[in-house]
Amino acid sequence: MNESRLESFLAKIYVDENARAKFLADPRGEAVKAGLTPQQIEDVVKIDRDGLELLAESLKRKKQGGR
Amino acid sequence: MIVRDRFGLGWRPKLALGILSNLDRIDVVEVIADDYFRAPHRERRALRTLSAQTPVTLHGVTLGLASSVPVEVKRLDQIARLCADVGPVSWSEHLAFVRGGGIEIGHLAAPPRCAATIDGAIANLRRARAIAGIAPQVENVATLIDPPGSDRDEATWVSEIIRNSDSHLLLDLHNLHANALNFNFDPLDFISRMPAERISAVHLAGGKWIGRHEAPRLLDDHLHDVPDPVYDLLEEVAARTPQALTVIIERDGKFPPIESLLDQLDRARAAVARGRQRARVLAA
Repeated sequence: MNESRLESFLAKIYVDENARAKFLADPRGEAVKAGLTPQQIEDVVKIDRDGLELLAESLKRKKQGGR
Repeated sequence: MIVRDRFGLGWRPKLALGILSNLDRIDVVEVIADDYFRAPHRERRALRTLSAQTPVTLHGVTLGLASSVPVEVKRLDQIARLCADVGPVSWSEHLAFVRGGGIEIGHLAAPPRCAATIDGAIANLRRARAIAGIAPQVENVATLIDPPGSDRDEATWVSEIIRNSDSHLLLDLHNLHANALNFNFDPLDFISRMPAERISAVHLAGGKWIGRHEAPRLLDDHLHDVPDPVYDLLEEVAARTPQALTVIIERDGKFPPIESLLDQLDRARAAVARGRQRARVLAA
């Protein structure tokens, strides 16, 4: 259950621009709100921000251009 | 012992004519399974015809098998029906998650590399085999982000899934090349840590650099030619695998003339031949 919560959280910040902006502004607060475990909170707080932005941009382009 | 490797291309509508005109140089065609789940009857019939002409392997992109969440039976039923209809030589999917909490990511995402996603993937692969009748080959994915929540490296995570399931590995060498460059690990070490006897297929592709100048990342976009280091990795895989390999070049756009793709297939054949030769010399 806890792992699926982390997957859901990641899916949201990967594709939802508003959710991602909120997360980047307050990573710990958003992770707590999402009900992640203490370890998961520490993991997402340390997220690779460059990678997150590039992934989000890549997903957005794929959505616009199809597969 | 004669090893019958197969070399082929991903089937894309814009490549269809080129592929059909060159079946003497193409041993196998890889078809995106999801494109046919809801396809009209005539398109299914065309796929069956293609399958009668040349070996076809089906490649799924939306099951999301590497997840702690069980894969939906209705999705497995779709691939099972397509396999029964088309009679592919094999089918494959990705070690990725593609949705969570009702949100579709729209592409393949690397899941947290941890015990829960290993257990989830193994359970999902068991379900996939039970419903489709044959176990899928599973492919390592490219990622632009080091997945949060990971407690082991990619090689450990992939090899644990392969060793504890019935699935064989579809080793995507451009995904490996990109991840190795982006996250600073040795791709040869990755290959050496895979169970060599369980590698049965290989993907080759190309990509481009994106991101900040001081911290660029290689994007696996399938829009560029296969780069030289990927052929070197293919040689290494061939040197380690005595069994037959199916090698597919994936190209999704910016299509070059078919002759260019056939030349890249020939380079793949040559790389595999060099690897096999190295293995023979070592064994002698």
